[in-house]
Amino acid sequence: MTQQMIHPLYGALAPWLALSLLVLGRNPRLSRTRITGSLLLALFLLRIPVGGWPLFAWCRTLEMNPSFTLTGLLGIALWQRLSGKVIFRSEDWRAAWIVGSLASLVLYPMGLGLTSIDPYSWGWGPTVPILTAACATLLLIQGNRFGIILILPPLGSLLHLQESANFWDALIDPFYGGLSLIALFYLIMAHINRWKKSHQAGK
Amino acid sequence: MSIPARVLLVLLAGLFCWGVIRNVSPLKTGGFVTEQTGRIDEKPFFNKELINPEQGLPMVHVASLAQMPDGIMAAVWYGGTAECQPDVKIYFSQHEPGAAWTAPRVIMTRERAEQDLRRPVKSLGNALLLANPTGSLQLLFVSIAMGKWSGSQLNTCLSKDGGLTWSRAERLTLSPFFNFSELVRNRAIAQQGGGWCVPIYQEFLGKFPELLWLGECKGELTYRKTRIAGGCSTFQPSLIPVSEEYAEVLLRDYTISRKIHISSSYDGGLDWPFVTATELPNPDAGISGLQLSDGGLLVAFNDSAKDRSNLTLAIASKDRKTWRRIVALENEPDANFSYPFLMRSSDGMIRMAYTRRGKAIALTGFNEAWIRKQEATSITP
Repeated sequence: MTQQMIHPLYGALAPWLALSLLVLGRNPRLSRTRITGSLLLALFLLRIPVGGWPLFAWCRTLEMNPSFTLTGLLGIALWQRLSGKVIFRSEDWRAAWIVGSLASLVLYPMGLGLTSIDPYSWGWGPTVPILTAACATLLLIQGNRFGIILILPPLGSLLHLQESANFWDALIDPFYGGLSLIALFYLIMAHINRWKKSHQAGK
Repeated sequence: MSIPARVLLVLLAGLFCWGVIRNVSPLKTGGFVTEQTGRIDEKPFFNKELINPEQGLPMVHVASLAQMPDGIMAAVWYGGTAECQPDVKIYFSQHEPGAAWTAPRVIMTRERAEQDLRRPVKSLGNALLLANPTGSLQLLFVSIAMGKWSGSQLNTCLSKDGGLTWSRAERLTLSPFFNFSELVRNRAIAQQGGGWCVPIYQEFLGKFPELLWLGECKGELTYRKTRIAGGCSTFQPSLIPVSEEYAEVLLRDYTISRKIHISSSYDGGLDWPFVTATELPNPDAGISGLQLSDGGLLVAFNDSAKDRSNLTLAIASKDRKTWRRIVALENEPDANFSYPFLMRSSDGMIRMAYTRRGKAIALTGFNEAWIRKQEATSITP
């Protein structure tokens, strides 16, 4: 299989996982038929032509390089949804949002020209893979399952599954970055509210 | 997770990371190939022609030139009803010594780009031609995914038959945010030991100049980019190599100062410590520069802070502290002469392509003796 075939196939995985989650909805009762139907419907939706191009081609226009982290997290979310089991605990999700937020804050403002430093160019060197492996190691030592997801970017990068050869694109994309910042905001707000409540109770 | 599982996963993370960093190496510049300089003992020579006199398109713009190893000159530009429109195509023409420019030929259309890149393309834009020492031609071109220039992406394709047929275009991923928005415009500089240093720029949230380093590894195209400056002040760099390690860039202005900016690098183009304004005006328009044989710097620019109604040549002294206007090549109220592209051909002649009134691609050829004569007499042709 050539890279020209592998890149679109990998690129379709994240949109398909995300659409599958949306189609499955929040209904707690999932029959086998509903699961199969939903997964197939998501696949069908990606092929619906919009303006002469399948929806997936428009996804490719916007983001050809969904990060392996986002794809992994979507895979976990779908697995949890289908099995009804907790694969990722709250601390695992928290680690995902914190790492995603930190990476976004380092990459995007400066990558888009805030300063003369360009962190995106570090992604063509050893710095970002080493930091990712160090982060994965720390999380795995603590038993945090997001550490397993952080093994995916170097693996995917080694297999050249993405169009981009920049390691940042393996680690993060604007969707994962944006989602992380929103989730972290809610986590911080929840923390502040808890602290306020405990403070008021203490009075 | 059990302890053995954690240890195994940590080992896997280390192993994959090692695999990744084994394949990367720090960016090393080979040093610039300094451009050939001309002779000043020749007779002054100047000529002007149109590359596409009968093309008849409502709009043509942003020409770039390249000379193939066999001496044939080639030019590319884009044209259509207007910028960023779906009917914009990239045109190619070539010129053998002693012959006229060939009729413009379409080498890239929106439909072809869509087919090659397998995704919707709204329009095409700036194109740059690189003549590889092996004889192949490499085309870098802008495709617009959505919106206008901020939604642009850079792509490349190769021709091994002098521009007759082109390989499948491939997209370069150069920006972290949906790969928006990288553009190309000015002359690329060859690197010692192969590869190119291409001045590029981003105009999405900021407008800033960058360098794209193109190379080849095991037959595959490799690329990286570095930044000249950040912010939203200057862009569209024109790179001028002075020696292997020392280079300068002239920058289009996007500030209220309306001045051409300049910066220098002493390490082969990796670091550009300061950007300073020159005394030459810039109406937020393209500029181009070239090193002269006496160390002076030739600049083609619009000599106005507000419009593109003239196209002027100026020379900077060796220390770049004084700038002297030598000739206005075009000057007509309310007209538009823009996007000069300077290069030197193998015979030492300086060639300059530019957009004339938005309807034609003009080409001037002159030598350094003519520049000296203009410098002495300040006669406008």
